[in-house]
Parts: sequence; structure tokens; C-alpha cells
Amino acid sequence: MSTTRPDPLHPDPLHKLRAYFAGFPLLWPLVGLAALLLFNVVYHPGFLALEVRDGHLYGTPVDLLHQGAKGILLAIGMTLVIASGGIDLSVGSVMALAGAAAALLAKRADLPLVAVIVLPLLLAAIAGLWNGLLVTRIGIQPIIATLVLMTSGRGLAMLLTGGQNPAFDRSGFIFLGNGHLLGLPFTIYLVAAALTTAGLLLRRTALGLFLESTGDNERASRASGVDARLVKTAVYVVSGVCAGLAGLVATSNIKQADPIRTGEMMELDAIFAVVVGGTALTGGRFTLAGSVVGALLIQTLTQTMFYLGVPPPIAPVPKAIIVLAVCLLQSAGFRRDVVGLVKRPIRR
Amino acid sequence: MSRLSFAATAVVLVLLFGTASWLYPGFLSARVIANLFGDNAALGIAAIGMTFVILSGGIDLSVGAVLAFTSTLVALLVTRHAVPPLLAIALGLAIGAAFGAVMGAMIHRYELPPFLVTLAGMFFARGMAFVLSLESLGISHPFYRSAATFGIPLSAKATLNAPALIFLVLFAAASCLLHATRFGRDVYAVGGHEPSARLLGVAVGKTKIAVYALSGTCSALAGVVATLRMGSGNPAQGTGFELDAIACVVIGGTLLSGGVGSLAGTLNGVLIFGTIQIALVFDGRLNSWWARIVVGALLLLFIVFQKLLARAASRRA
Amino acid sequence: MRALYTALFLTAAVVACKKTDNKESGKESGKPDPASGTSGTSGTSGTKQLTVGFAQVGAESAWRTAETGSIRAEAEKRKVNLKFSDAQGKQENQITAVRGFIAQGVDAIILAPVVETGWEPVLLEAKQAKIPVVLVDRGIKTSDETLYATLIASDFVAEGKMAAEWMAKKLNGKAAVVELQGTPGSAPAIDRKKGFEEGIKANPNMKIIASQSGDFRRSNGKEVMEALLKKHGKEITAVYAHNDDMALGAIQAIEESGAKPGTDVIVVSVDGVKDAFTAMVEGKLSASVECNPLLGPMAFDAVEKAVAGQTLPKRQVVEDKLFDTTNAKDVIATRQY
Repeated sequence: MSTTRPDPLHPDPLHKLRAYFAGFPLLWPLVGLAALLLFNVVYHPGFLALEVRDGHLYGTPVDLLHQGAKGILLAIGMTLVIASGGIDLSVGSVMALAGAAAALLAKRADLPLVAVIVLPLLLAAIAGLWNGLLVTRIGIQPIIATLVLMTSGRGLAMLLTGGQNPAFDRSGFIFLGNGHLLGLPFTIYLVAAALTTAGLLLRRTALGLFLESTGDNERASRASGVDARLVKTAVYVVSGVCAGLAGLVATSNIKQADPIRTGEMMELDAIFAVVVGGTALTGGRFTLAGSVVGALLIQTLTQTMFYLGVPPPIAPVPKAIIVLAVCLLQSAGFRRDVVGLVKRPIRR
Repeated sequence: MSRLSFAATAVVLVLLFGTASWLYPGFLSARVIANLFGDNAALGIAAIGMTFVILSGGIDLSVGAVLAFTSTLVALLVTRHAVPPLLAIALGLAIGAAFGAVMGAMIHRYELPPFLVTLAGMFFARGMAFVLSLESLGISHPFYRSAATFGIPLSAKATLNAPALIFLVLFAAASCLLHATRFGRDVYAVGGHEPSARLLGVAVGKTKIAVYALSGTCSALAGVVATLRMGSGNPAQGTGFELDAIACVVIGGTLLSGGVGSLAGTLNGVLIFGTIQIALVFDGRLNSWWARIVVGALLLLFIVFQKLLARAASRRA
Repeated sequence: MRALYTALFLTAAVVACKKTDNKESGKESGKPDPASGTSGTSGTSGTKQLTVGFAQVGAESAWRTAETGSIRAEAEKRKVNLKFSDAQGKQENQITAVRGFIAQGVDAIILAPVVETGWEPVLLEAKQAKIPVVLVDRGIKTSDETLYATLIASDFVAEGKMAAEWMAKKLNGKAAVVELQGTPGSAPAIDRKKGFEEGIKANPNMKIIASQSGDFRRSNGKEVMEALLKKHGKEITAVYAHNDDMALGAIQAIEESGAKPGTDVIVVSVDGVKDAFTAMVEGKLSASVECNPLLGPMAFDAVEKAVAGQTLPKRQVVEDKLFDTTNAKDVIATRQY
């Protein structure tokens, strides 16, 4: 590596402190989540209550994981994309597309269940590949490249279903979003599997290292032999598949496709989850665990709104404030200004 | 190069309009053209602001939400609090400008990515619109009743209505601002290459903040125009509007990396968008989702076209 | 460059001019209808084929799809040239569509307004162009009733009342109700809420303990219900949903909570789509007030009368019936939507 890093054997004290915090990138998101949960428990002591009903674990915490599954899945893909220095605005539309395809396939009893699940995922992967190729081969900025699919993807989904919301009765597919395994919703296992796969990919193969170097400095990574184009394309495919999976969960969950609403505004929730989780938008530094916590934070916020009886359309306001606060706290300039403001009165 | 992409946009517009006129009786009429401006006035006004932002190298995702917020605010003030309409409109515009300036300041001073700040701005403004009112508010006020009927007749059947006139006047004013003032040159300079702009003595910070304030004002004005068009303020309107506006700007030949583009191109982009929509209404058989798909395809086509032009230009250099 | 632009525009204009000469006004331009002689269903239109624009909200629920289907089928039956526009749930798109219909010179416009306000300017334009507008399924708020020919819709307030009265009878006047509202600001959401509140007034022991918007959507209905079940737990004895889709979502949430919809929690909704009948036959949904979406025949009757210059009653109420678990089985086979 040609980059100059501080000598790990002789760190300066300030760097030590920084390294300490860098070692716990999860600290702030976790503090935020804990604070929000605490707030809820104070208002509704039953918020964290768990009980067993019908042999299933039942309660708001389970709901948070179950309902948050879509957000977590999206956040996994989005983390990788953002780590590569990109962004994927099309995830919501890809969800709708995969969901619409799955519903249509699920209606056909002659198709095996594998096809009902794999074909939509393949479609989502192709959508991701399309994004990746636009970014890497044609050199379009990621925001715009994925904007194309964001605007037209939902239209394609509507054309697939002919503007209808096809309902289906396919027990195997319905299990995906509604079933229980060992007392827990199946979606939780799905998320765990996706996380494990992504984690293994990142830690056991060189992909993680590649990603960090790609996002940080494309030229340097190219010099060090990383095929940046390949990595970047792959990242969009992963994001597409994650979105497809989230779309399947959403569709299975309500037993019908809903091309207009499935994944509506979810791209923003996913980006927010990743940002709140501590991944740098400039690429390079990323944390999957942080994104998961971020996604759970967003879901808890949604749940809090339901509890407080706040009309859903108002829910974006606190989300916006939290994200801006997180970003401002991360900005060195803001911290300097705040410190300046605090110090001045003391000096007088 | 920007000329070439402008020409391409113009060709697409003429081809689209020509095809639609060929296919649908009554399409090529003064009324349809007047409608094109009137129905897309809000989009056009927001796209004008967006052009400045994109030229400066940024992006503004909050336009649709600011539109909804302003229209709801104006409706609320006029109907529930008996504020004179013009005062309510002025207040709405001022809030839009301030909102944009705050976003611009965050982007500049704290070096946050524009899309993130404006995304948060979009969530915030949309939510606040619903805080003002959960439902669409009708405005019944003599000013609005006369505004609804006001217009300049073009022919027996076609009238340029108030929204269309506001759009055209703003377009002229914004063109002057962009192409004939110091500020306009600064916007191009900042978007072209920020460090060199700084070296040339351009006040980069001020320019950036001004650009977002301008876009905020334009979005607010789009909200005002929406109240004129419907005689109501609806907090739910304008979802996805930001993407339409960006699409219009890009189809109009403005480079997303900033520094290259024109307002005339944006006007073409808006008219292309509007033509597709009206043509679908005239046809009356196709699924309206085709509009989304066609716009997406055009967007892609123009980006690729720009890329090819840029590549050819760099090879020549 | 500018020359090129101008040249292109001129070419296009010249090419198109030939066509516009004889098509200056849209009304006369309707293609001669080969079948017009045999189209016996339309009594008033004589030899001319009617062109009617239909500005639909979108396709957000099975109910709306059924409505669209009914209007399309009726148009085909009467040999009406139907121009259909789907506004994708957006009022601004609907207005553009209506103005497009006016520019096209259609004979009449059928409008299903997405919200109650914001229609006066565009309807004024239609009135000036002498194009009658028939409102279907939802009303508008206006001080000027001459802006539209007639409104064909169910009485949403009465629907809410029917649901409340049925629930009161079923639960002997004592209930803790969760209300799932429709899209905020839409006429059915406002009126079904109002009607229900009126209907339970006589029973002081019937209380709405929570009322939230589920936006007429199955997914939102489910999610909101899940949260409310956690908050209020076993306290909830009944659910009143402004449409079937939300009720079906709520039923899923109730089942997942381990309770039995239909016995532990009574679920009542409005619309009466086929899925609701299936749920009633299964005993999960207790009752559904039918809101008839098959407005096609009535709408085109009104259109033909309005085009012929007859004045219509401003309000034509579509009769609604309540179905519950006892009589759902008899109807389900004939239900098309």
C-alpha cells in the first residue's frame, strides 16, 4: 500500500483516542437506538414486553425485527454500494418489480416454489447488473444511473401486473413473509442468513478490503491490482438481489403484489439507515453492523409513531432531524463551530 | 458540445410533438400548446431552480416537498387565518428561500453531500406540510376566483392562464440572470471547476448558498402556482416531483457534473415531458405508466449521448 | 443551430397542418363510426359516436379496478370511444388529464376525484367549453354546483352508520373499537368516519379507542394494526376499517397475535370486494357494507342524458347493502370483483 498510515507501534495520544472510537463505530447508533427504546418504555411500559402466543414469540421487539427485515435487507446492499463510493436509488422500484414478478409467478400452480422465488431474484440481479454497468462501463454518476431505474422500474412493475394488485394463495411463498420457525418469524432467519453471507463475503474473501480501497481511492486500488470495475458492478448486483429479497418479503407479507406502494420511499430509509449506522458517504469506511442498527432505529421510529398515534405522513420529520443531526455531528466543521459557540461565553 | 445536445433535445421535442399531431386529431392546436405551458408550469418553475443547482454541481431533492409545503401553507393562511393572499404568497416564498439557504449553508459550510442534505430537507418539508394540514384545503377567496379565470387569450379556445404566464415570465427573468449577470457566470464557474473558480476570485460559498436559496424560492413559487391551478393546497401533491424536474434538466442537456447547460434546454425538457403526458391522455388507451418508462428511457439516452459527446470532445482536445 | 431548429419545427408544422385543417375542432372530427347505425343502446346520440374521457384516480385497490372495469365494459357495450387516463393517485395528473380531454374536445368527462378540493378552476374550464362532467364515486367541495352535471356515488355517511349499527347489535352496544381510516382528506375517509361516529352515539359503551390512517392499503392496515395490538392488547374488541383491503391486513395482524378474528375481535369494513366475501365465508371478517363499484351503466346513462342537454339530479345515490357471515355465501359465487 502506498498510502501513509501512522505507525501502529508508536501512536500519538490523540490518534489513540481516535482509534478507540474508531474501534466502536457502533457506539453512537446504539446509543440512539437505546435512547429511543427507553423513551418508548417510559411512555408505554409494555413496549418491550415479550410473551409466547400460539407457540410464537410475540411482542413489539419481534415486530421490530420482523417489520424491519425489509429495511435491513436493503441496508445491507446499500452499505456495500455506498462503501464503493456509489449510491443506489433504485432499490424501492426493484422491490416493486421483484414483488410483482413473484406474485404473478405464485399465481401459477404449475411452477415449482423455487422458480417463484429464484426468478424474481434473478430479475432483481439483472436490474442491479444494469445499474452496475451504467456506472462502470458508461461512467454515469451513480445517483443518475440508478435514478433511471428508479423512475422507470415502478412503471415496468405496473406494466407487468397490468396496473392491478394480483393476489395469490401459495402457502410456500406466503411462509416467506409470514411463517414462523422455532417460535420466531422466518424473516429474522432470512435476515440473519443474508447478513452472514454478506459478512463472510466481506471478511473471508478479499472483497471487504477491495471495497474499502475502491471507495477510498480508486486510482490507488487500481494500481494495487484490484479490478475496481468488477467490484463496483458486483456491489450493485448484490444491492439488487437484496432489494429483490426485500420485495419478496413485502409481497409475501400481504399476500398480494402492490407495485405502487411496495418499497415506496424505502430507498431513502435504506440510505438513512446506512448513514446513521456510521458508514461514510464518501465511500471506503463502512460497517454492516452499524447499518443494521440504523435500520432498526428507523423501524423503531416508525413503531413509535404508531404508538403515539402520530399520523404516518408526519413520520418523515423526526427521521430528517435525526439524520441531519448525525451528519452534522460527523462533520468536523460543525463540531468546530459548536465548540466555538460554547467557549465564547465562558471566556467573557 | 452543449449546443449539440441542445439541438438533440429540440429534435426530440419536434419529433414527439410531430408524431403526436400526426396520430391524434386536434393535438396540434393552440389549446394544447397553451395547456402544455399551463399544466407544466409548476414543473417548469421547479426545473428552472434545479437547473441553477445542477449547473453549480449540486442537486436538490427537496423541490416536490417544498412545493407541497408552500401550497398547504398558503391555503391554510388564506382560508383559516384570513391572511391576504398576496401576503401569504410572499411569506411562502420567503420561507422557501430561507429553507433553501439553510440547506445551502449546510452543504457549503459543513461539507455535507448535497443529495443527503436535500433528501433530509425533503423528508422534513413533506412532513411539515402534513403537520399544517392532513388534508387538501380548498381556498375560497375573490383573489383566487379571479386568478382562476385570468389569462391572455391566444385564440378563440386557447388561453395562456396565470400559471403559464408566471412560468414564462420567470423563464425570461432566470435566463437573464443566468446568461447576463455576474452571478450567472459564477454559477457556471463553481460548477465547472470549484478550485479554479476560487482562484479566479469567485465567492464560492455565497454562490452555492444563493443557488440553493434560488431553488427553494422556485419550488415555493411552484407551490403557489399549484394553488392557483387548483384553487387548493394539497400536502400530498408533488411526490416524485424532484425526479421529474431532474429528468427535465438532464434531458435538456445540462451536465449533471455541473458547469455545462442552459435554461433553454431545460424548457425543451419540460415540454418533452409535458408532450408525452398529454399524448397519453389523447391516446386514452395506453397505460399511463408508459410515461414513466419513456421518461426513464429518454433520460438514459441523453446521458449516454452526453457521455459520447464528452468522450469525443476529450479525444479531440 | 437555431436555423436547424426552426427548419425542423417548420417541417413538422407543415406536415401536421394538412391534418389539422379538417380537424380544427375536435368534436366534428370523430371518425365516422361504421357501427353507429346499429348501436341501439344509446338512445340520444343518433348517428354520432360519443367520445368520453374518464379520469381515474389509479389502481390502488380491487374496488377501483372493478370500477374501471365496469366503465370500460359499459363503454364497449354502448360503442363509446373511451379515453382512459390513470392518474397514478395524483391530483395534479388528474387535472392534466381533464384539461387534455377538454383540449381534445371530448363530448363528456367522467371524473373520479381523488380528493374533495381543488377542482373549481379545471371544472370551470370544462363548463366554458360546454363539456358536461359526471362525477363518480366521490364528491367535491364547491360553492358552484353548476360545475358538474351530476354525482353518482354511494352515501359514505350512511355506509359508516350501517357498519356502526350492525356492530352495536352484534356486540350488544359495548365495544372498544380500533378504526382504520382511509387516505386523509378523501371523501370516503371523512364520511365513513363521520357516519360511524354518528352510528355509535346511541351506545355510550361503544368507544373508538384508536383511530389511525391505513391509507386504504392492505400493507398499511396490517402494520398499523400490529402496532395497535401491541399497544392496547386484549382491550380491543372490534375493528372498523374504511375499506376491505385494510380490514384484510388487520385480520392477518390479529391472527398473528394469536387471537381469532371474527370471534375474539369483530372486524367490520366497507366495500364488499370478493376477497372480503371469502374472508366472511371463512368467518374471519364479520361484516362488510357493500359499496357498489359497478357504476358504468349509471355513469353512461348520465353522460348520454347530459350530452343531450337534459338536466340531471345533482346527486344520484347508489344503494348499498350490508353483508355478513350469514348471507355472504349466497353472493360470493356471483361476485365478479
